[in-house]
Amino acid sequence: MSISTLPQTGMAECERIGREAGVAAGLAAALSGISVPDSAPGRYAAVPMESPDEGAAVLHHRLAAAEGVVFLECPGQGPDSGPAWAEAGRLLAAVRLGVLRRALDQAVEHLSGRQSGGEPLIRKQLITGSIADVMAGTEMLRAYAQTQGGQAALADIHTRLDVLGWEVLKLFGAAGYLSDGPGRALYVSTLAAGTWVPREEVPE
Amino acid sequence: MIELDDRLRAIRDASRQLAEDLRGRALAIDADPDAMEEHLNSDVFELFRITETPAEFREALPAGLKLPRGAAMEERGNCLTNAVSLIEAARGDLATVLACPAPGLPGVVVEVLGDHRQREVFFRALHGGRTWPFFAMTEPAHGSDAGAMETRFEPDGAGGWLLFGSKRFIGNAARGGVGVVFGRTGRSAMSIRAALVQLPAPGWSGVRLDTVGLRGAYLSELVFEGVPVPGEMMLGGHLPVAQRGLWGALKTFNQVRLRVAAGAVGTALAMVDYVAEHRKTAPGLDVAVARAEAAREALYEAAARLDRKPDRAYWSSAVKLAAVEMGVSTGRWAARVMGPGGLLEHPLLEKWTRDVCAFEFMDGTSNMQRLHVERGYQTGDADG
Repeated sequence: MSISTLPQTGMAECERIGREAGVAAGLAAALSGISVPDSAPGRYAAVPMESPDEGAAVLHHRLAAAEGVVFLECPGQGPDSGPAWAEAGRLLAAVRLGVLRRALDQAVEHLSGRQSGGEPLIRKQLITGSIADVMAGTEMLRAYAQTQGGQAALADIHTRLDVLGWEVLKLFGAAGYLSDGPGRALYVSTLAAGTWVPREEVPE
Repeated sequence: MIELDDRLRAIRDASRQLAEDLRGRALAIDADPDAMEEHLNSDVFELFRITETPAEFREALPAGLKLPRGAAMEERGNCLTNAVSLIEAARGDLATVLACPAPGLPGVVVEVLGDHRQREVFFRALHGGRTWPFFAMTEPAHGSDAGAMETRFEPDGAGGWLLFGSKRFIGNAARGGVGVVFGRTGRSAMSIRAALVQLPAPGWSGVRLDTVGLRGAYLSELVFEGVPVPGEMMLGGHLPVAQRGLWGALKTFNQVRLRVAAGAVGTALAMVDYVAEHRKTAPGLDVAVARAEAAREALYEAAARLDRKPDRAYWSSAVKLAAVEMGVSTGRWAARVMGPGGLLEHPLLEKWTRDVCAFEFMDGTSNMQRLHVERGYQTGDADG
């Protein structure tokens, strides 16, 4: 079912912001114009750190805070709360594609500067295969998010993004596990998406 | 399939009794891995340290402290025993286990490469439970590619050595303590040796690396700028030349890899336990349990095979490769089934979804394991 209700330029812009400015800026773009408490499906919703009103109850997470993201306490409208979270979820998918692409660019740069057995890691076949798989997955997910707006499809898109993010993270080796490295943005984008897109029933 | 005998079942059950205590410490250590005072000399830390220490260097149990029901003091060295015990401990919380100043992996290497005096220095240094051991192999520029190692031991002209170089992602090393450092005494592969190094020492500096998860491991970066190493602390001098350094330690790396896999399996079991307790009707729970339990059985099998053929990398690599992917995907599943924002309502589960990713990077990434597995397949190890 193709039910694109969002202008593709909006998604492209969110992807650009995610790639160039990171998770918090992308989240601000994805959530602009919606009421977070009235839309969020769960008890917490990821929002840019500066957006909650003063005195609003927020939960801080060490890694999310470093990315400029906090979690606003919400009534929790449940997964059936309709299209409000679904629209945010689609734009958030575009943001995540941008964050993912930025991390992939950083991974390629990282791998180009490291050698094993006298050869740059970037030339190793297992590595080039991973990079190709990530890019192919990115192209597919962009089309998926642009053309499929159903809640089940959206849940699937974000689950695929979780998996793809892990594939990118592995390219960094242990450097991807440092809190001040690119792994943090990938982790926080996953955590943020987990507050906006219900997907209890989605298998991998 | 490996059938656990009475002795192994007792070891498994004893570790299970400690899991709850480990779990209770997990979030505090994750929040601040430097704040260890409340955990040091706790019963569970004392038990880990003392039971892991070889009998000849072992402290008496503190007054009033008893072994868990059914447990006995074991000698070390059996992979299956270690796997059975470690999976259950990781089911409590592996980061807390790694934060414990117990012999662990460095102890395995010291037992293989150390003479009696060196083993005595190492194990007695850990007495009292306030000194951490470390195992320093990985370097900033070359990861775990031992062939490209740059750290070096230079003769000091008086029978000892001066240590130069840097190491990265070394558990507990910035806490100081006593550990094994690998470096070169020359250019050949045979010249990669290991020394027992006690820190702090002149010319040493160390910092903790802030990691996404598994923060109890206190992964560290070390710099050595002419750290003096007495000649008698160079390990392996009593062994045949080919077994003194890296080659002698190779078989311990297979054990290390299996321990990492045990961490992944135990953490996956912890996550499915948690989901089963808090969301009994979670979609996919049966499959998640089945996959984690199957990985545990595969790990038992690999451990038993490694006990028979300690120098074969195939089984430990195959199991690590599969267990890590299973563990990470179990984390993603757990995050989904707890509902939108569920991880934020369940911080222990959220911590484990971060922790389990660490096993990908420990003792060789999945791509490194793929190379070992393919080689083992080609040489017939898969069928042997």
